[in-house]
Amino acid sequence: MQLVEKIIKGERAAIAKAITLVESSRENDKNESRKLISELLNKPGKSIRVGFSGPPGVGKSTFIESFGRYLVEKNYKLGILAIDPSSQITGGSILGDKTRMIEISKNPNTFIRSTPSRGSLGGISAGTREASIILDAAGYDFIFIETVGVGQSETMATNLVDIFSLIVGPGSGDELQGIKKGITEYADIFIVNKNDGDLKSEASKTASDYKSAISYYKKSNDTADKEVLLVSAIEQTGMEKVIETIQNIVSQNKKNKNFDERRAKQLTYWIEEEVREIIQFNIQNKIKADGSISQLSQKVMDGKIQMFEAIEAITQNLQNK
Amino acid sequence: MKTKNSENYTKWQKSFEQETKIDLKEASSETDEGIEIKPVYTKADIENLSFVDNDSLPGQFPYTRGPKASMYTNRPWTIRQYAGFSTAEESNDFYKKNLKSGQKGLSVAFDLPTHRGYDSDDDLVMGDVGKAGVAIDTVEDMKILFNDIPLDQMSVSMTMNGAVLPVLSSFIVAGEEQNVNKNLLSGTIQNDILKEFMVRNTYIYPPDPSMKIVADIIEFTSKEMPKFNSISISGYHMQEAGADNVLELAYTLADGMEYVRAALSKGLDIDDFAPRLSFFFAIGTDFFMEIAKLRAARTLWYKIMKDFGAKNEKSLILRTHCQTSGVSLTEKDPYNNIIRTSYEALSAILGGTQSLHTNSFDEAIALPTDESARIARNTQLILQNETGVTNTVDPLAGSYFIESLTDELSKKAWEVIEEIESLGGMTKAVKAGVPKLKIEESATKKQAKVDSGSRVVVGVNKFKNPKEPKVDVRVIDNNRVRDDQIKKINDIKASRDQKAVDESLAKLVTAAKEDSNLLARSIDAIKNRATVGEVSKALEQVYGRHFATSLSVSGVYGKHFEGDEDFMNVTKKVNIFEEENGRRPRVLVVKMGQDGHDRGAKIVATSFADMGFDVDMGPLFQSPKDVAKDAIENDVHAIGVSTLAAGHKTLVPELMKSLKEIDPKSKIIVFVGGVIPEQDYDFLYKNNISAIFGPGSNIIESAEKVIDLISDKIHKNN
Repeated sequence: MQLVEKIIKGERAAIAKAITLVESSRENDKNESRKLISELLNKPGKSIRVGFSGPPGVGKSTFIESFGRYLVEKNYKLGILAIDPSSQITGGSILGDKTRMIEISKNPNTFIRSTPSRGSLGGISAGTREASIILDAAGYDFIFIETVGVGQSETMATNLVDIFSLIVGPGSGDELQGIKKGITEYADIFIVNKNDGDLKSEASKTASDYKSAISYYKKSNDTADKEVLLVSAIEQTGMEKVIETIQNIVSQNKKNKNFDERRAKQLTYWIEEEVREIIQFNIQNKIKADGSISQLSQKVMDGKIQMFEAIEAITQNLQNK
Repeated sequence: MKTKNSENYTKWQKSFEQETKIDLKEASSETDEGIEIKPVYTKADIENLSFVDNDSLPGQFPYTRGPKASMYTNRPWTIRQYAGFSTAEESNDFYKKNLKSGQKGLSVAFDLPTHRGYDSDDDLVMGDVGKAGVAIDTVEDMKILFNDIPLDQMSVSMTMNGAVLPVLSSFIVAGEEQNVNKNLLSGTIQNDILKEFMVRNTYIYPPDPSMKIVADIIEFTSKEMPKFNSISISGYHMQEAGADNVLELAYTLADGMEYVRAALSKGLDIDDFAPRLSFFFAIGTDFFMEIAKLRAARTLWYKIMKDFGAKNEKSLILRTHCQTSGVSLTEKDPYNNIIRTSYEALSAILGGTQSLHTNSFDEAIALPTDESARIARNTQLILQNETGVTNTVDPLAGSYFIESLTDELSKKAWEVIEEIESLGGMTKAVKAGVPKLKIEESATKKQAKVDSGSRVVVGVNKFKNPKEPKVDVRVIDNNRVRDDQIKKINDIKASRDQKAVDESLAKLVTAAKEDSNLLARSIDAIKNRATVGEVSKALEQVYGRHFATSLSVSGVYGKHFEGDEDFMNVTKKVNIFEEENGRRPRVLVVKMGQDGHDRGAKIVATSFADMGFDVDMGPLFQSPKDVAKDAIENDVHAIGVSTLAAGHKTLVPELMKSLKEIDPKSKIIVFVGGVIPEQDYDFLYKNNISAIFGPGSNIIESAEKVIDLISDKIHKNN
């Protein structure tokens, strides 16, 4: 497959087209996409996938711009997948991440792709996992996945990334109570941004709130410790500590096999998800072809049979096909 | 008496309803500002007003009726035409011609590189040198600009905000070297950075150091340049960006309050600098509203300055320059613009402006020619000499409608001012992006009204001219200007005392770190022939360069079209497109070069998204190469280039080249919108541009055309 070679060579347009393919909702494209991904999975790269999430307004994109600048200066290749919400009313979207990633978007060592979330509410979009496999095969050292809102933390942490980090702003410690459970469980790194100017003392206070919150978290013996870091995206401070922490967690998790186990679990989940999707697709086609649902519904309405009887009859019918 | 009034009124109402067949309650209309306009006003409407004092006189507080007792009866307003292009030599010629033909004051337009503190030889500014204004790199350029124009007699207004330090320094040194001491220089420097963060985007440094520079200039000029206005607090660009009159008025005055506080923080007494604060408003097509705005502005400023504790009468008076609206000009049937500008000019005069710029009719397309500039100037000369408007001060005073409208506008603006104050003042509000977003919302609403036809624009959405006239425009050879400028820079760099330059720049950096006055230091550097770019870069070491983050409104445009057939038609096409192609049509909307006017780009982005497109927004000030990378990585179907500063002839071909460099088989289509003279259309089409949308293009029609072009391209490839 020519596309595969081009991706491995790192051709920008080929990578971009491949991502379009795996994001496509067209049935033909889905088969193409599965073929492509299968081939790419045989040629894995060495990228570390890092997830970034956080409430709106904490400066996620600004942090990624700042941290990304730090990484490309150190000659790392950086792929960024940013997911923006689609409007529920019009279906359209405004993809504005790059207005906040001014310097890194110019750099030849970056690849930045914005994706509208489409159906999935402001979170992970269909194809994000596949897109990260494409960037991995293309030789990117780090793949950042950025989503809006913290609601997708679990999905992202368990299905997509090697490290999941939550970006928060000064003063957000108070909200911790509400979101503590899910977050402390899934986040590997807490990044407290805006540690600058008037907000410095507030930021430190927030960091210690998070530190004390994660101290309640009971970790199994061999996993890497969760970390709380203070950064300023606008002053570009604290960045070396972020990369150091990422690398430490990765090497520790690799040593104790956590890293591979996590990826294995993600693969299992993925297969399950694909199977579910295919079955669902098949069933949907059967349902479309089968007229019994509307007939039986009418019978229920007319009081001729009971609802559960109708359900059972339809299920039987579909399974036998 | 009272009973007779109400009897008359009842009778009138009956007749009105009989004639119109409309219930009086339903007969009011609503302005963009949300003000109700009634079919008739009576004495009752000017009783119990909140801000307006019906008994006040011109030149008396609250100065609603004008800053001076005699106004134009003693001396008419100053005809001050804003101009500048190409090199200093050519602009100087143009100025001298204009002064001979009756213009009284000068107003300098600088090119975008100068605004943003880049020298003409900087790679970043390739397409922008000499385009939307004159290129100034060193004091030598400034001296040429004012060659044979005595600076002790001519008042000079300079639109400069970002690179305000090196440019004002060059002006001062140019004066000195003409043997004019700085205390004799008169005129105005715009020096209004807050609105740059809101709308115009020609800032350099972040908000806080930018405010320090503003305050430094107020401090320096209040001590050393008694005849010079230290700032021109500008609402103009807000209205141009789509703000309604309440927003324009309120944000401008709130900006003014912030500058007063900045100057006070320097330890100055308010009466030392307040008399030299000046204002600048836009005058659009809403005739009476614009008159009321100027009257309301003076009324509110009086109150604001009183609250600050100003005692000197001159501190309490708002003096303003006005310019007719650029955004009201249309590319279609352009001679209509002469008429629009005339009415706008009359509004400004009836509102009591101190000076006025009237736009040339071709400014929706290009920079004015000698001929169009003459017509624009004559618009004012006719008003002054033929119409009799100068014979009576504030002739509309006492009009039930005008007085009531003035008061209504004041009340609404005051609420917005209080809202900004509650956020901690304008610097904080700007950092939070609040005013920018409000203005964009207002802009999108206005655009939707035009596109849906609920607002008529003659020659654009109604009464179209079947035979569009051809108009000759001024053409700037941008490459030649750039070459000339580079040569001059090189000559100066070869002949100057480099050690003196380095030392004075080092002192400037120290001053920035120590927080002492920067204008004095930058005058020294400029005197030593440091360039505008060098002075700006020196300060950038300390302050950094500011990049704005961009928020977007959504849903505002679409709301105006619920049930609209054309609108639904496009959304339907978008949905079909998605089914066929597995994704929505995806468009990258960009600005390139140093042009920061992003109203058009923002409106296109939000309205396309409302029609169901996926829209990528690029940052401001991108190079064609950056845009190409962005477009290809996101695999967009189309790129929409918004251009308002004449850079398209250099930047668009460069973009096409960059696209092919990254992907020789690129199928991305490119369309261009904004200020593009028809003479350039062929050139652009030859460069494989798929569509061109001039000012006043209907966005729904444009969106439909774009989706059709994308679909065609896809079908051709299959």
